[in-house]
Amino acid sequence: MTKRIEITKEEVIKISKLAKMNVDGEEERFAKLFTDTLNKIEILNELNTENIEETFQVTGLKNVYQEEPIDNRKLTKEEVFQNVKDKVKGLISTKGVFSGEENNES
Amino acid sequence: MNLNKLTIDECIKGLKKKEFTSREITQDCLDQISKYDSQIHAFITVCGERAIKESEKADEIIKKEGEQAFIRKPLLGIPYACKDNYSTRGIETTAGSEVLKGYIPPYESTVTQRIMNAGGILLGKTNMDAFAHGSSTETSDFFKTKNAWNYDRVPGGSSGGSAVAVSADMCIFSIGSETAGSIRLPASWCGVTGLKPTYGRVSRYGLIAMASSTDSPGPLAKNAEDCSYILNIIAGKDSCDATTSTVSVENYISFNEKNDNSKPLKGIRIGKPLSYFNIDMEEGYKEKVNESLKVFSDLGAEIIDIDLLDPKYSIAVYTIIQRSEVSSNLGRYDGIRYGQGRDKFGFEAKKRAMLGTYTLSAGYYDAYYAKAQKVRTLIINNFKECFNKVDLIIGPSTPCTAMKFGESDKSSMFGELMDVLAEPSSIAGLCGISIPCGFLNNLPVGVQLIGRMFEEKQLLYSAGEYQRVVNYHKERPKLK
Repeated sequence: MTKRIEITKEEVIKISKLAKMNVDGEEERFAKLFTDTLNKIEILNELNTENIEETFQVTGLKNVYQEEPIDNRKLTKEEVFQNVKDKVKGLISTKGVFSGEENNES
Repeated sequence: MNLNKLTIDECIKGLKKKEFTSREITQDCLDQISKYDSQIHAFITVCGERAIKESEKADEIIKKEGEQAFIRKPLLGIPYACKDNYSTRGIETTAGSEVLKGYIPPYESTVTQRIMNAGGILLGKTNMDAFAHGSSTETSDFFKTKNAWNYDRVPGGSSGGSAVAVSADMCIFSIGSETAGSIRLPASWCGVTGLKPTYGRVSRYGLIAMASSTDSPGPLAKNAEDCSYILNIIAGKDSCDATTSTVSVENYISFNEKNDNSKPLKGIRIGKPLSYFNIDMEEGYKEKVNESLKVFSDLGAEIIDIDLLDPKYSIAVYTIIQRSEVSSNLGRYDGIRYGQGRDKFGFEAKKRAMLGTYTLSAGYYDAYYAKAQKVRTLIINNFKECFNKVDLIIGPSTPCTAMKFGESDKSSMFGELMDVLAEPSSIAGLCGISIPCGFLNNLPVGVQLIGRMFEEKQLLYSAGEYQRVVNYHKERPKLK
């Protein structure tokens, strides 16, 4: 019998930061769910996978190259920008990424 | 005239003989939508005006070119509904989520582009679990879709809106997408035919990604023959999706008008995996599926007992792979280039992306993700061994008929449990089809056939022959 896995509230907060998801007030709920799910998937350890390779691509494709010209499906700049809410001088405006700038809008 | 009740085949025949026009078919579908969709809520967006204009163009082409037009455009004038996770240029595409509310794609997905080129007419975009994260369509951020057979029941998901649109005759066919069960489950619960093609058979370009290593676009239709018509159009290599296969596309329509052969499935071996019939199932469900086995046997197929791995392992593999790939695929939504901010993600998306982040993170990758991908290899090998002995595998599509609203909240892995019988073949990338095989308490029951990779033709042929002698797929719900 393997040891029961326990996901704590603190771990949920850590994961939420990595995944950039807001879990305010729901940490307990997620901790309980993740604990439950991770314990259920433990059944995989019943199967011996020694010397078994992983399968990432089921049809066996490898190194698919693109012939030139790629395709006639191209987007104009207007099309690329049509869903952008915050534009400055023809550029897409983002939040700052360096410390202290995260909350600066454009 | 109720032309909305027709199949693709019937529409094409009638259009060729000029018994009716595409405009009339399209109008009947739109009338059905406006009459019942305020109750059922299958559609997020209906593009009626645009559809009518397209239908008039189709009628012009038919007038000018006659029957010849259908060689160039095999779906000419046929109105269809599309799941809202396919990018449709100029038409809002939300994937059922608040995050993408208001998003107007600047480009067209390959699937909808190919249908457009073939003359198909888009009626609207159908409701779904947000980002396809679910098996009941209850997790749509907008509203819940009702099962047309019983308004207290869910349609299944995540392609719930697409399945209901077909079962309620709001369209001639629809497009869904399946990661593991999202076509077959709602098809089964709504009493329609749903095909999940082999992974890589149909392009994912422009399909909003859920789990990239299993996502498979496919049709939901009124019968298997119609699925063949659609697959003929959407299958094949696409330079915009490197994971599409170069395996050549066949003509999937293989039905004869007059088939005098009473044993059309002679020589076909169908495997019956005991592990699929021994799972916890709703009372009476197994018997319905067994009745269909008898029909396949009467049609000449040889039924052989086979050993497949217990599908419970697939639940675990699928949960890990799907959560991991979801965490990667949801990473792109930043609300900067399109869509809303990450604060708009719903509970289900958070749950999946966060667990996936965990299973992919340093220190846990080997224990979870790598382990799951190794068991995936075991599952694939297991199928390969079975397919040495049989040509098709048969099993129930789902463990039960459509559930009541609210049941999905009762388990942390509801979807995974409902999709238990679709997960193994999805993980292995195989093709599968769910077809109606009876009713239990006035709710449809589905049986599925699973085929080898790229052997959709065999699958569709066998399903088609079954539907030639059994009429469950022709039953329609009485709408209120």
